[in-house]
Amino acid sequence: MSEIQSGFSVTKPAIEFKGVSKIYQTGTHALSDVNITINSGEFVFVVGSSGAGKSTFMKLIMREEKSNTGIINVNGFNLNKIRHNQVPLLRRTMGIVFQDFRLIPNMTVFENVAFAMHVTGAQSRDIRIQVSKALSLVGLGDKARSMPNQLSGGEQQRVGLARALVNNPEIIIADEPTGNVDPNMSYEIVTLLTEINKRGTTIIMVTHDHNLVRDFGHRVIMLDQGKIVANNTGGKINEA
Amino acid sequence: MKLSSVKYLTKEGLKNVWVNRLMTISSIGVLVACMVLIGLAVLLSMNVTKIIGNLEQQNVVMVFFDDYNAARYDLNGRTAPEGTELDDNGICDEMYLIHNSEEAKAVCEEIKAINNIADVQYVSKEEALEITKKNMNQNADAAMETLEGEDNPLSDGARVTMVDLELFDQTLEKIRNVKGVNAIQAQNDLAQTITSIKNGIFIAGIAIISILLIISLVIVSNTIRVTMYNRKLEISIMKAVGATDGFIRFPFVVEGIAIGLVSAVISEGLLYCCYRVAAEAILSNAGTFELITYSSQALMLLGIFAAIGVLAGTVGSLIMISKYLKREGSEFAAF
Repeated sequence: MSEIQSGFSVTKPAIEFKGVSKIYQTGTHALSDVNITINSGEFVFVVGSSGAGKSTFMKLIMREEKSNTGIINVNGFNLNKIRHNQVPLLRRTMGIVFQDFRLIPNMTVFENVAFAMHVTGAQSRDIRIQVSKALSLVGLGDKARSMPNQLSGGEQQRVGLARALVNNPEIIIADEPTGNVDPNMSYEIVTLLTEINKRGTTIIMVTHDHNLVRDFGHRVIMLDQGKIVANNTGGKINEA
Repeated sequence: MKLSSVKYLTKEGLKNVWVNRLMTISSIGVLVACMVLIGLAVLLSMNVTKIIGNLEQQNVVMVFFDDYNAARYDLNGRTAPEGTELDDNGICDEMYLIHNSEEAKAVCEEIKAINNIADVQYVSKEEALEITKKNMNQNADAAMETLEGEDNPLSDGARVTMVDLELFDQTLEKIRNVKGVNAIQAQNDLAQTITSIKNGIFIAGIAIISILLIISLVIVSNTIRVTMYNRKLEISIMKAVGATDGFIRFPFVVEGIAIGLVSAVISEGLLYCCYRVAAEAILSNAGTFELITYSSQALMLLGIFAAIGVLAGTVGSLIMISKYLKREGSEFAAF
């Protein structure tokens, strides 16, 4: 198993899949016998064609779906044994960035980011400090009062990133975060994620953009028909 | 849940009431209609119960005592002890139990002690004759005058009223067993009719209120469903960032309760106006009725409405949201 990390040299597994399979009720075999470990502090690209099992892989990590067989451990939670009321606690250890941004249109940029902190029951004062920090980090400190529809696609995605960051998660899961932005902005977003990764946060990013994968040179997990067909370092996409 | 979260979520819930104002107004409209109907059903039932209560008081049982006249007109089973002297009518003191008004009043007290007896009024045979005279037409006066004094054929007795007519037969049996009671005149049919009307009104009231409660629940549930649909993006994000089920539910419950309470206050005012109009119409047509005043029941009705509002708001939103809490992020985006 690869032990390559970008950034910090840590070996504690953040995510472990052991013999994981997922078959949907429709009979679709989304994942078959997946074995993979992602260590804390790694930056991993997950690539593969449509229907390869990327979304299922992410949903299993977020516990949106349950596996049929195998063992999944995420941030110290055994997802096979986790109780329903512990799922929110698991999710608070991760920040999620969506392809379609998922910003609430009638809330300001500040409120959209603060929303993630309200969920954890944070105090107003802490919310003000943390949200301002997160917005500064993504370069939107001056847009706190703007509404989402006043921002470009790239800026909206950076708000999404600030929201994912604001609770200081151990992992950031980015599901095609560059899917709805132009190529230049895509580079900016992945650069930002790389910066965040250098601070010790594990990043798992799903993408179709092979140029990004090659240029940033992080670890690559390639899925095809529910199986891991490549697990390479240095941005190599080729199958093993 | 932390106090800061409670404050934030309460604010969010109240904000939703305004954001979804069209849906809120229509929900309040239907809820108010249900509550006013429930209120009218309660007031109607209370008024009918009051009227029936009056009828119950008027359903008098006449008890006749075992006195000289009783023996005089019914010698069956009465025998004089041997060697006793009989009067012109063939009767002696030992052949009947009540010899004077003191003994009659003692029997009245004994009847009064029976459970379910509301009131016992002693009626002497003289009073009974006066009442009979009043009830007869003037042409009979001459004939009635011949029955006064020793010729009065009536017995001493008592006018008895009961508390609960459902226990009519059992109570009657107990009166019959009191020593000194000779005969009873009662309107069993009327008692049964009153009891069945009372039971019918109670069952109909419960049925109407239950149906309206269910309608209220459905209405609030639907409002919450629309709200949830409008906020599916927000909920999917909430779930993704680790919101507990309680955190997601809270603003919806606040919204439901707010709708319920606003409806309760409007219903109280509207019912007051409806009842006033209805009461005036009834009294102008049948002025002898004494209806229950709204002010005496206002607080109770507001309590009922608030309880219905809070119940419908809480249960309605909980039912609806539980259904959607099982969904996960991507499913939310799809529904």
